[in-house]
Amino acid sequence: MRRRAVIAAVLLALAVPAAASAHATMKEAHPAEQGEVDAPPTQVTLRFDQSVEAPPDAIVVYAPDGRRLSGPVTQTDRDTVMRAPIRGAVKGQAYTVRWRVVSADGHVGTGVFTFGVGVTPPPPTEAVGASGVTWRDDVARWALFASLALMIGVVGIRLLVLPRVVDPRAERRVHLLGTLGAFLALNTGIAGFVIRSANALQVSGVDLLYADLSPFAESTRFGNAFLVTTFGFGICLTILVLAWVLDAPLLRWPAFLLALVLVWGYPLSGHQGTEPNSTALTEIADWVHLVTAMLWVGGVLTLAVVVWPLAPDLRRGAFLRFSRIAVFLIAALLAAGTFVSIQRLPELSDLWTTSYGKTLLVKIGLVCVALAWGGFHHTFVRPRLERGETPPGVGRSLLGESVVALAVLFAAAVLVNGAPPPVDTGSTSAASTPGR
Amino acid sequence: MLPRAEIAHWLFAAGFLFFGLVLLAEAIVGQAVFRSRPWRAYLWPSLALFAGVWLWLIAVFSTFSTLHLVAHSIWAQAATAAGAVELARVRGRLHSQYWSLVTAGALFISGASFLVHEQNGWLFARSAFLHHLVGWTLVVASVFPLGAALRPRRALWSYGFALTFVAVAVMLFSDRDVASIFGHLSELAGGRP
Repeated sequence: MRRRAVIAAVLLALAVPAAASAHATMKEAHPAEQGEVDAPPTQVTLRFDQSVEAPPDAIVVYAPDGRRLSGPVTQTDRDTVMRAPIRGAVKGQAYTVRWRVVSADGHVGTGVFTFGVGVTPPPPTEAVGASGVTWRDDVARWALFASLALMIGVVGIRLLVLPRVVDPRAERRVHLLGTLGAFLALNTGIAGFVIRSANALQVSGVDLLYADLSPFAESTRFGNAFLVTTFGFGICLTILVLAWVLDAPLLRWPAFLLALVLVWGYPLSGHQGTEPNSTALTEIADWVHLVTAMLWVGGVLTLAVVVWPLAPDLRRGAFLRFSRIAVFLIAALLAAGTFVSIQRLPELSDLWTTSYGKTLLVKIGLVCVALAWGGFHHTFVRPRLERGETPPGVGRSLLGESVVALAVLFAAAVLVNGAPPPVDTGSTSAASTPGR
Repeated sequence: MLPRAEIAHWLFAAGFLFFGLVLLAEAIVGQAVFRSRPWRAYLWPSLALFAGVWLWLIAVFSTFSTLHLVAHSIWAQAATAAGAVELARVRGRLHSQYWSLVTAGALFISGASFLVHEQNGWLFARSAFLHHLVGWTLVVASVFPLGAALRPRRALWSYGFALTFVAVAVMLFSDRDVASIFGHLSELAGGRP
């Protein structure tokens, strides 16, 4: 009886959307989304794929200083077209358009975009009223980094450090962790993209489900990176699955190499790619910093959750080989991180006078803890393993180092989402409060 | 310039038709005969995995609403999961018949995603009607892999599973973004003359 009731409830829940009707999608805008026009427009026109109801604030146009320039909305063409007059727009500035309509099914559709008059408009994430990044962005970015550490780190260390043939149970766990990493990277990437868009749209809950995300996907660097990395990680996931199904560990190589290339999307789309003093060198340094961190964290995780519990005969060899490459990883990690930090914080006092600098100090502190932990392993555990001894508690100690490494990734996520101290370039922005 | 949704649906319809005919052939001649050439066993799991990759491509171009983005990513993951499990069974990596439950779950979740992400009513336009029809077909069809997991010897499950994909292919081929259904087209549907 109870089972029948549950089945009936599920079927009813699925039937509910079928009872709704007419959900509208915005098809066209004048001025175009993220478009540049030569002369100040006198009206904004939005065309939808079906009739919509226009609430009082259906179209609002904002000047860069937050002033409202638009008048009351009128509708034509069987209510599929909305127009709002604009007064006071001038050449040389960018403007924000926020729209909000009610479809015949009662759902509220929302969107935001910018356009420039004689200037290139800023991305919609810098629209007037956008809240900038929040703690949700930090958590999503951290989850993404941790997922990448699983996919790139565990798979990379398996390929670079462990012998060709390992215990089948250890191999299964590597497969599981790598595939789980790709799966989580895809889903945390989607979550991060939606959260970032929601900050600019200023909607949540059901309204967010019907919000138009296309301006963010098409007109922002993080949106472009999202499109490429999501498709790319989808391919990585498939290759990793095939490597398991076909029992072909070498098939992980293309997934690993593709993931390394895709990680480049984050330096290109984060503040490293958008800061005025960014160069190809800073982007390369940021990529090296990210990749070496993933391999380091993934390596420690692999030793802690794969080698130590499942392949005791591999412990000595794996630990010694990882120790050797860890020296190079840490050296590259620190060199790239130091270089990027100097570029972002040219004044030493920026470290304690800006929020970006303070976060960097916390991260440096956590890195020091992790390095000290790794140094302890290198100095005290490694010689005993070389002598053929089996020191107790190493597995737990490696787990502890992994936890600190994950904390370092969280600090890195906050840093990547944060804005370094501004550099004056005189560029035009539609935003009143960009950044954190 | 993105292709219209109906064009992407027709491309998938072609894949689904091939998919369904392969499964139908296996159901008619029996697994032993069908797999006398070993590569045939890999056909439909490989196609499902391939469909998963393509669905990721569709997903990233479905950002016109959060719901569409999430629905397409769910289909991509469902296709990958079902393809991976069936491929692993063919390769002998997985043995239990209960792994068919993964395919059942993938079909059910895919159908539910169809129903939830289509916000227009059944008779709004042909595309809306077909979204509801495909959704419910997949939800109901999840009983076939479920049956294969619980009563693997009955041929009904194989026939039902194969015909599901043929039916879904026909539905997707019938899709046009704005066209009437049974002579009915909502006054609200866009693109009307």
